[in-house]
Amino acid sequence: MELRLQHLSRRYGTKSAVDDVSVNFVPGVYGLLGANGAGKTTLMRMISGILDASSGEIRLNGRTIQELGEKYYAHLGYIPQNFGFYPEFTAREFMLYMAAVKGLGRRRAKSRTETLLSMVNLQDAADKKIKSYSGGMKQRLGIAQAELNNPSILILDEPTAGLDPKERVRFRNLISDFAKEKIVILSTHIVSDVSYIADTILMMKNGRFLLNEPISTVTDDIRGKVWEVVVPEQKAAEYSARFSVVNLHHENNMVRLRMINEDVPAAGAVMVEPGVEDLFLYYFGEEAQEER
Amino acid sequence: MLIKYEFLKILRKRSTLIIMAVSLILTAFLFGLPAMQFQTYDQDKVIKGRAGIAHEKQQYLKVSVTLSEEYITETIRRVQKLFEDADNVGYDGNENFLIGDAYWEEIAPKEKLLNMIAKTYDSPNENSGYQKFTDLDISDGAGFYKAVESKIETLLDAPSRGLSDEQKEYWSDMARKVDIPLKYGYYQGWEMIITSFELLMFAVLSICIVIAPVFSGEYQAGTDAVLLSGKYGKTKLITAKVTASFLFAGIAFTLHVIVAWALPLTAFGTDGWDLPVQIANTAIPYPFTFLQTALISVGIVYLILSAMTGLTLLLSSKMRTPYLVLIVLAPVLFIPMVLTPTGTSGIYNLILFLLPYRAAMPEIGKYISYQFGGLVMDVFSVRAVLYAVLTGLTIPLARRGFKKHQVM
Repeated sequence: MELRLQHLSRRYGTKSAVDDVSVNFVPGVYGLLGANGAGKTTLMRMISGILDASSGEIRLNGRTIQELGEKYYAHLGYIPQNFGFYPEFTAREFMLYMAAVKGLGRRRAKSRTETLLSMVNLQDAADKKIKSYSGGMKQRLGIAQAELNNPSILILDEPTAGLDPKERVRFRNLISDFAKEKIVILSTHIVSDVSYIADTILMMKNGRFLLNEPISTVTDDIRGKVWEVVVPEQKAAEYSARFSVVNLHHENNMVRLRMINEDVPAAGAVMVEPGVEDLFLYYFGEEAQEER
Repeated sequence: MLIKYEFLKILRKRSTLIIMAVSLILTAFLFGLPAMQFQTYDQDKVIKGRAGIAHEKQQYLKVSVTLSEEYITETIRRVQKLFEDADNVGYDGNENFLIGDAYWEEIAPKEKLLNMIAKTYDSPNENSGYQKFTDLDISDGAGFYKAVESKIETLLDAPSRGLSDEQKEYWSDMARKVDIPLKYGYYQGWEMIITSFELLMFAVLSICIVIAPVFSGEYQAGTDAVLLSGKYGKTKLITAKVTASFLFAGIAFTLHVIVAWALPLTAFGTDGWDLPVQIANTAIPYPFTFLQTALISVGIVYLILSAMTGLTLLLSSKMRTPYLVLIVLAPVLFIPMVLTPTGTSGIYNLILFLLPYRAAMPEIGKYISYQFGGLVMDVFSVRAVLYAVLTGLTIPLARRGFKKHQVM
């Protein structure tokens, strides 16, 4: 299976939200990173077939989504950002309704509903109205509905936003379970979410891809540029102003700084193994710092 | 399956229950009010409520007859005789009228019938009452049905109506189909229903408020993205939404109609359903009974409801919130309420009689017709065609609106 985006653009007036993006997706988990306004959500909406491209096309196994029509949507599972629910429905009713929207027959709808509610640990609350659910429960229900048709393309737009750390771990594990043999495109600006489960990292800025690399080699560009140094508290501010500081940790009266710099930033600085978060900061600099 | 869930989505909202409850109570109040306020009189006292209705029905038993020429001639003659006795006659400085037993025994029990007969002999815009009988020469009989024909002809020829020869011919032909002699009887319940159809527009508005979020509510809640990316999101789901909306509108409106009809028919009885509407006004050209008129009128209101449902769905598919839908819809439904017809002809009036609020009024005695080339259509037919066409146009546009909706 191959999902191909060819010269895909989306303009709003004179502004390009997505600008001439081309990429091939094959089964695997893709972490789509970018600061707010980078064009991630617009791109995912176009892939989901709910927003028309201004130019370019999307092809699944060689055929455009317009040619495929309903057949394309049958391959899709989608959790949009700020996904709304029907508060007066129970989770079970919501799942059965979504199963009908996705074209599942009655028997399959029932069995998939029970299986998925069990997988996302909502079976005991299946007959409670969604209005009584917590944010985490709603997100789990969101992924369960996306999985109803066992989609071969799973699109997750900021699925962990607003979740506490425990829920986020749980959610990541669920996505990993569902991801086998699928194209999973996971958009987030929480870098740690993708660094655990993504096979490939895509970075977007100003509507374009800056980077498209396997997770195993994605940090190669900044290898040898990530440093840690322990400095007195009064020096920390000065270092923060001079260098790209990724992390800052107080230890007694000292501060441990993690920073990215081409050369040794200070005497005593130790070169460390780079992570995806370091890479994110390297590319997005102050934009990313503001979001964090 | 999808229809069931779309229907549940509409029904489960607390706002739906509140709006429907308020609307049903309002309908019950508006249609129940005439029964609650009903009062009639006998020589001694005012008789109110159910007792008043029973009294009036009792009076009507004496006049539940066929209005043959002989009966009408005799009725007129009796009134003329009463006027011949000076003891029976009063004068208010303007006109003579019957007083005492002559009035209470001979006129009061059948005053509505006498007024109807008298109005047939009146010239247009005249409303003289039974006193008119003193002016009539009935030596060769009352010539009542000739007078009906002549009255209709006079009304059709009135320049203010602006009717073409084809339109006059259309109405004359229709009037000739009325079965004569007319049968008279009690018809209060049906008259109440037929003169109150426009009150059902509050029910139409309530239903439109409930279905306004069918599409726009999805945009507002952010569920549009998931639905439109589903296999049937742009096809069967839309059909289900439209079907569920019409199903809800049909059921909810039928409940309102049941309440609206049940109250007057329970209070006043179903008597008169098979009587011709001409016994309320002999100039009515439609050859219908009260029941037929009520059914045709309610059929038109169902078509208005259908078009308004279609329009609501169209607006809902195009607008981002249900509130915007209502901001557009409420004036469409209620601006015609404050517009008054200046006659029965001219573009302004002919359009006004087709607008939602006015279109709910049967207007059976006004000879409102529309001419398209050689084709003449009465107001019922034009309303039926117009609202059926509007329904047919708005549904595909609403479908297209949701299908083409861009999640931004």
